[in-house]
Amino acid sequence: MQPCSREMQGMSSLLNASSSQISLEDLQQQQSQSSSSIQGSQIHQIHASHYEPPPSHDDFLEQMLSTLGPPSWADLGGQPGKVPWDTTTTVPDGNGPNNKPRDDETPDNVPAFPFDESANLASKFRNHQISGGCGSKSAAAAAAAMMLQHQLMLARGGGAAGAGETGLVPMPLSLSNGEFDRSQNDVVDGSSSDVTLRFKHCTMDSALDLWPALVRRRTSFTILRHAIDFGGSMAAQQNYGASGPAMNQTQAPSGSSGAQPAQPRPRVRARRGQATDPHSIAERLRRERIAERMKALQELVPNANKTDKASMLDEIIDYVKFLQLQVKVLSMSRLGGAAAVAPLVADMSPEGNGGDCIQANSNGGTHGRTSNGNTNNNQTASSNDTMTVTEHQVAKLMEEDMGSAMQYLQGKGLCLMPISLATAISTATCHTRNPMINNNHHHPPIGSNGEGPSSPSMSVLTVQSATTGNGAAAADGSVKDAASVSQPW
Amino acid sequence: MMNPQRLSLSFSSTSYKYRFVQGFIRALKRINRQKLATSLLSRSSPTEIYKRYLKVKSAADASMASAVGLRRAWSRALLQRIRDQERINFGNKYYKYCPAGTRIRGKSTTFTMIRNIKRSSDDRNCKDQESINNGALGWKANELRKLVPGGEAMDMCNLLDETAHYIKCLATQVKLMKRIADFASA
Repeated sequence: MQPCSREMQGMSSLLNASSSQISLEDLQQQQSQSSSSIQGSQIHQIHASHYEPPPSHDDFLEQMLSTLGPPSWADLGGQPGKVPWDTTTTVPDGNGPNNKPRDDETPDNVPAFPFDESANLASKFRNHQISGGCGSKSAAAAAAAMMLQHQLMLARGGGAAGAGETGLVPMPLSLSNGEFDRSQNDVVDGSSSDVTLRFKHCTMDSALDLWPALVRRRTSFTILRHAIDFGGSMAAQQNYGASGPAMNQTQAPSGSSGAQPAQPRPRVRARRGQATDPHSIAERLRRERIAERMKALQELVPNANKTDKASMLDEIIDYVKFLQLQVKVLSMSRLGGAAAVAPLVADMSPEGNGGDCIQANSNGGTHGRTSNGNTNNNQTASSNDTMTVTEHQVAKLMEEDMGSAMQYLQGKGLCLMPISLATAISTATCHTRNPMINNNHHHPPIGSNGEGPSSPSMSVLTVQSATTGNGAAAADGSVKDAASVSQPW
Repeated sequence: MMNPQRLSLSFSSTSYKYRFVQGFIRALKRINRQKLATSLLSRSSPTEIYKRYLKVKSAADASMASAVGLRRAWSRALLQRIRDQERINFGNKYYKYCPAGTRIRGKSTTFTMIRNIKRSSDDRNCKDQESINNGALGWKANELRKLVPGGEAMDMCNLLDETAHYIKCLATQVKLMKRIADFASA
């Protein structure tokens, strides 16, 4: 015993230096916060003398502790006056060290455990939890037991314990308590639950941090002790925290991803107010997939700030039509001789989207324009002379550079917009301009280069008339937005 | 070449662009040769121009679709449609036109059909698909199906997927064609 205790103290000093003494801090915090309720006077005795407060992990533990309800340790063990890691009472197994009274469980007594009995301790801890506690609450503790076993296996030096691990780990899983199974699955598999994540993180952290120290067998006692204490206390806290909405959280992931736990009895508990049948789960998955695809599409389509799915779909449809129209126009532009507009116009459906910025440069542009200008001038006969001059100017500018054309227009207080938008604005703002609107409707939105200058000019005209007629500055502003859509290319 | 199944930022259009431009320029050259071959009088008649426009447009679409390859449902459907159209309009000489080749023909169509049929039957159990089809989104989804090539037999999920890729490719196509047009006219 003596050498062990010496080693113990050596190890404790070594461990004090490590930063992962979560158990210490949480126990101490427990003491400070709920000293009255916990029969932690024992804890006080045990730990206060040997450990120092660890420097880190404050925020996590504070969060954990903030969820502490009125602690009912009795609930855990099913027996008053016991703490979770006390396995001495309910287990009929008559191991000597396990039957020590609680008060004596000081670090000095720990080395009394032979290492093989540490495994027994862990298993009894688990058993205790199963037999004593209510299912979901003890699940956390039992999960802690599983983690402990993992750490035990780590402590045993890894490789050789692989078989042992597989032997031990499935044991809790095959327990008869179905509820225990499920909730354990929840806790263990519920990686989406913050509580569980942190819990796992902390255990693994503590295990990994202590890993260099685990190499030596004789230090494994302390590790086990730490693990058990930590696991027990964490389990306790987790129970309190889990009694509230966290319970639903831990169970919800298994509800939503029912296929994940590869347990013999994959019973899935649903979220509140949702069905559990596989159809609804599949539907939920589908809806999520659709939502994420809609989000991806939103990035592609310009000016897509709509949150509604229906309007988003509208935008997408319009944009696809617009792009297809552009391809048509561009393939038309290369043929030169765009004089034959009529068959082309008949081919294309009157869509107002591409009316503004499709101005492809081509050698045949001038020809097209003059031949089409005659037909179009009849329609623009009602326009002012100044407008035709502006039109020609804009058309000329458009041939060279779209940007300069836009600047010219903006300098005049005009802008380009799709005809559909122009008609919408003009009908909304000024009802007296009906003849103009009719002209716009008859006018095909875009055809070739010949059509190009005239259609935007028609829309320009409408904008100007609307603006001067009603001083609709708001319309102008919104119109600029529409025109700016085409800027990127 | 990256995995084209991923929708987000990692759309590698460099290889698409290159192949598209290659195919398109080749097709344009061919069309130009034909244009030169025809008589001067008939060259500028409206019908001729219209026909040429059609050829150019299908050349653009076909080169885009073959640049994408057969990975996407829409490209397969588009290639199929173009081949059928060309066969109807211009006879058999345009079979060589699509660089994707004829070897894929039999396999791809059956594969596409089977895949689409499977997809649609999988979703028949899903109430959500019906609600989408019947509700306000329903006719919009059908509109989109009409626009996207090959979208008829797709469920909502894949339709959105294909639409995203299709939009990307269309935008690339437009950009490249504009640049070619600028270059040619300058």
